[in-house]
Amino acid sequence: MSDNTIGLVNYGITGNIHSIKKAVEKAGGKVKIINKKEDFVDVSKIVIPGVGSFKDAMEELRNDDLLDALKEKIKTRPTLGICLGMQILSTLGFEYGKTEGLDVIKAEAKPMIVDGKVPHVGFNKIDVIKPNKLLDGLENEEFYFMHSYEVVNYTDIASLTDYNGHKFVSSIQKNNIYGVQFHPEKSREAGIKLFKNFIEL
Amino acid sequence: MKTRIIAKLDVKPPYVVKPVHFEGLRKVGLSAELAKKYYEQGADELIYIDIVSSLYQREILFEEIERAANELFIPFGVGGGVKTIEDFSRLFHSGADKVVINTSAVQENPDIINEAAKIFGNQAVVVNVEAKKWDGWYECYTDCGRIKSGRDVFEWVKEVEQRGAGEIFLQCVDADGRQRGFDLRLAKKVVDSVNIPVVVASGAGKLEDIKELVEYANPSGVAIASLLHYDKCTIKEIKEYLRNNSIEVLK
Repeated sequence: MSDNTIGLVNYGITGNIHSIKKAVEKAGGKVKIINKKEDFVDVSKIVIPGVGSFKDAMEELRNDDLLDALKEKIKTRPTLGICLGMQILSTLGFEYGKTEGLDVIKAEAKPMIVDGKVPHVGFNKIDVIKPNKLLDGLENEEFYFMHSYEVVNYTDIASLTDYNGHKFVSSIQKNNIYGVQFHPEKSREAGIKLFKNFIEL
Repeated sequence: MKTRIIAKLDVKPPYVVKPVHFEGLRKVGLSAELAKKYYEQGADELIYIDIVSSLYQREILFEEIERAANELFIPFGVGGGVKTIEDFSRLFHSGADKVVINTSAVQENPDIINEAAKIFGNQAVVVNVEAKKWDGWYECYTDCGRIKSGRDVFEWVKEVEQRGAGEIFLQCVDADGRQRGFDLRLAKKVVDSVNIPVVVASGAGKLEDIKELVEYANPSGVAIASLLHYDKCTIKEIKEYLRNNSIEVLK
């Protein structure tokens, strides 16, 4: 616990853990890949990555027998969900039908409806609504987004982002649980700084 | 929305090569080194296409991709020779953030787009369109502009959007590598045909070409190859120029 190892949850074929691992290491962190529930034992923080659909992500977590352990561990360990990893923190997801999420944040992941191209792809500013340690020093930075769904939540918003006049939740925070819709591992120095902040939590 | 400036690497492993009209390959440098160089210059994104794997029907060289991905902290799209869901998966594990598909989807199995979008999310599936101009229409080509498909470009881009593709990577067989400007009407018509982002490649020979493309067609991104490979300018210079011409780009 004291060595501050970050457990990166590797579920199924959909995770892009490679680039997140590199970025956390660049930020000075130590990464342990979580392939099975026993691997959680000596990690002090958790990162949930995500490439894919909400439905598949939850199925993979269940198939790999990681779901219950993950739900248990995030109660006590600082956790960062990235992109789909943030979305599955929600109660429900509406991608390819209705799927139950991890339900640690009362929210829903819904398709983006916006007067612009979807997926929303590219660099955008975050507008910090409620400052937190993760976003410390990153108030005016731009991050890389690549998503077609967004988290709808009214209580735990940390930042909003404007895409063609549509404001959506670009990060959330509830106690020690953080979620970012963008990809810090793909956002150059600003992203590395975010991982530094996470390591230092 | 800021226009993304993307460096395009056409790779014949381990070298980045620069074809003219997709023919006559010239070695530019090692892919991992150029990837790093363009990252440091400020590229918003990199796209890596193994331009011979489909043509020679050989395996994708995952180690080469991993090497190129190693020092990048920006989005990395990878394509060339992608045929199966397993290929998608292995590419993501090799450091790709998006997978670019053309030949197998357009010639044999368009359903792979649906399948990949369902598993990996549509934002991770990019369809590469190699458009060849004919009298009155544009045809989708594959294998580096060598093989016809009979498909109409504007119908195909709408179809792949329906199937769940998250982005179109538009190349133009006639303009690629010639550095004489983009096919503006092709670009605009593709951008206007779909509601997913379109990245336009093929044709930048000078800074004005990029400005003209953005003003005329407003694509989500512009992919640059020759201009960078021959050190005619850097990404930083491209961005400065565009900014000075009131086009929004990332710092």
